[in-house]
Amino acid sequence: MVNNMLVLFTGELQRMKRYNIFAASLLISLIWIGILQFTGIEDVSSIFPLLIFLDATSMAMLMVGVTMFFEKQEGVIKTLLVSPIDKSEYILAKSFANILSNVVTLGVLYGYSKLFKEINVNILGLLAAVILIAFFHSLLGFLLTYYSKDFTGLLTGIMKYSFVFMIPVLLEQVGLIKNETIKKFLYIIPTKSSMTLLNASSIGIEMLEVVLSTLYLVLISALLYYIVYKKFDEFAIRESGV
Amino acid sequence: MFQVKNLRFKYPRNKEYTIKGISFEIKEGEIFGLLGPSGVGKSTTQKILIKLLEKYDGEVSYKGKDIKQYGKAFYQGIGVGFEIPVHFSKLTAQENLDFFKRLYSVNGDIDGLLKRVGLYEDRNKRVNEYSKGMKARLNFVRALINKPNVLFLDEPTNGLDPKNARIIKDIIKEFKGKGGTVLLTTHLMNDVDELCDRVAFMADGKIVEIDTPKDLKLKHGRREVDVEYIEDDIVKKEGFNLDKLSTDHKFLNIVKTKKIITIHSKETTLDHIFIRVTGVENGE
Repeated sequence: MVNNMLVLFTGELQRMKRYNIFAASLLISLIWIGILQFTGIEDVSSIFPLLIFLDATSMAMLMVGVTMFFEKQEGVIKTLLVSPIDKSEYILAKSFANILSNVVTLGVLYGYSKLFKEINVNILGLLAAVILIAFFHSLLGFLLTYYSKDFTGLLTGIMKYSFVFMIPVLLEQVGLIKNETIKKFLYIIPTKSSMTLLNASSIGIEMLEVVLSTLYLVLISALLYYIVYKKFDEFAIRESGV
Repeated sequence: MFQVKNLRFKYPRNKEYTIKGISFEIKEGEIFGLLGPSGVGKSTTQKILIKLLEKYDGEVSYKGKDIKQYGKAFYQGIGVGFEIPVHFSKLTAQENLDFFKRLYSVNGDIDGLLKRVGLYEDRNKRVNEYSKGMKARLNFVRALINKPNVLFLDEPTNGLDPKNARIIKDIIKEFKGKGGTVLLTTHLMNDVDELCDRVAFMADGKIVEIDTPKDLKLKHGRREVDVEYIEDDIVKKEGFNLDKLSTDHKFLNIVKTKKIITIHSKETTLDHIFIRVTGVENGE
């Protein structure tokens, strides 16, 4: 199990590099750096979680989708399905490689902020939050890919998710949603918990809220993993050419 | 090695069964050909045997044990050669093989195989620079990467020139010679004739014929000989019963006294059997 996981994980990293997925991820990091630079804010501690939120959610979904669509397009998924690997190994190796990409982005942004701006965040707390958020959204990327006929379909799925789950949280974060009922309503969506955990490492959040958000994300990730694992067989049958 | 009993399978969205109760056995050390036109259930049968499809009725066993009871270890001894390319196009052939070989506990002689199929010199080229034939040969090497006991090959010589097709067929024969078992799916009846110990023809989800190529040809052929000869400057043609040639005075007289142009036994070909038993032209 560990050996196969390692082979699949390093294989993912090799392909992310060769298919320029890492390069694309770094380019996105540069865009975030550009935003940090040109906002003119010296202390970026409050804006930092916002950028990490965008990366660990939408980019995590997109990256999983991109690698899976490459595998579908090149027929590799067929030969992987007749290799001695468990579907859990496949799902986890891809998710971990994806998380690593998000962690690298976090490192790049943090490094830039430390060198050229002022930043006062709990980096270990942020790291833990990014791992959890990226894992959840990587699994979501699997699910969206299962049910997308092509890459455009995947992008449409991510857009829909962004409109429904991400934009309201972002609007609240920048202070455009002030209604308390709506704010409370947002707690039912996983992106609100994600933002809460990221904020906890910078602007400070009540411990109870942090614990509940963590529990919520862990539980919903476990549920999502179960669904992704169960639905993998249907996906495999379709991708085997049926 | 594989035992299939009354296998039935229906895809979730289909009303009709794709596989309609087939039974056959693939014996250890034989090359078994699964033949038939497109859409009759050959690929579905193969997918069931390699555990890609599990919700079927009937029994499928491998080495005496229900294949549903096998876990991922099942694939340690199985090699699957796909017809279409199945490699990461932006990695080199060597990088692809290095990745896959690490998933197996046993590896074959990959360098030796690459040399045999003529890819060794190009092993460090990216797969997207390969021709169709090179990709097909790489697929074949991939199927043998784990030194399998059983090979599932789908059109292994498709897209190959005669020289490379010969190399692949020779390797398949050597694999069998060492005790390996092969399930071969192809439309090339010459390959079937040369390689297969037994063949099953499928039509409409059923097996309509199963036997050795030789016995099928005897069964479907006519026990006759056609003789073309010249008599009085005219080309004539006569047919004779193959079993009575030695006592057929007319035949013996023609052979002794006339100038023979051709003599052909009326043994049929697998192509003709394919058309007859499946009801369609080969390649449809």
